[in-house]
Amino acid sequence: LPPEMQPIPCKPLFFDLAFNFVEFPSLEDKIEAAAGGKKGGAGLTG
Amino acid sequence: MATTKESNLSALYVELNRFAQNGEYERALKTANKILQQFPGEEKAFHCKVVCFIQLSRFQDGLKAILNQPKFSQELVFEKAYCQYRLNQPHDALKTLNAATSLSSQLKELKAQILYRLERYEECSDTYRDIIKNTTDDYEDERETNLAAVMANLCMEGSNRDV
Repeated sequence: LPPEMQPIPCKPLFFDLAFNFVEFPSLEDKIEAAAGGKKGGAGLTG
Repeated sequence: MATTKESNLSALYVELNRFAQNGEYERALKTANKILQQFPGEEKAFHCKVVCFIQLSRFQDGLKAILNQPKFSQELVFEKAYCQYRLNQPHDALKTLNAATSLSSQLKELKAQILYRLERYEECSDTYRDIIKNTTDDYEDERETNLAAVMANLCMEGSNRDV
């Protein structure tokens, strides 16, 4: 005969919120450098 | 020659930025590696590389990369501790966080989760109350849920703290 069923507390829900803060750094400055560099290049050669 | 090299770097960053924003983490990782091969001092590329590893659930690779680059790792306390947390090394993760000079809201969020994993529910509850009081973002419901989980555990432990 199986033992009698017993209630046990369920595992509470717990979210990993820190994962949402794993973000790429802003690359704006690196990309702007690209645009700025091109302008500078044009100034030098043209 | 130097100009070509620099514009090449910018072009690579444009590519990296596009992959990063589109969530193409494998490709972003390749581009970040390309940058680092030619420009080993590029801290932002390194940061992106670590974020890619985390997004790809390659936490061991992420942690190894950070440990192999101590000159960059000061900036990457959050990423390092997060990898340790996901690798089930909560003690190491907490040590990493405690070495930080001040805790940003992201670091506090991670700290609360680490304390939960360590079953240090009283400190965890204090940390969540602090975050909830001082933060407004899209995750408020989830954070309340986490606090409820902490409270449930405190009750099960028979703590006499006010719930």
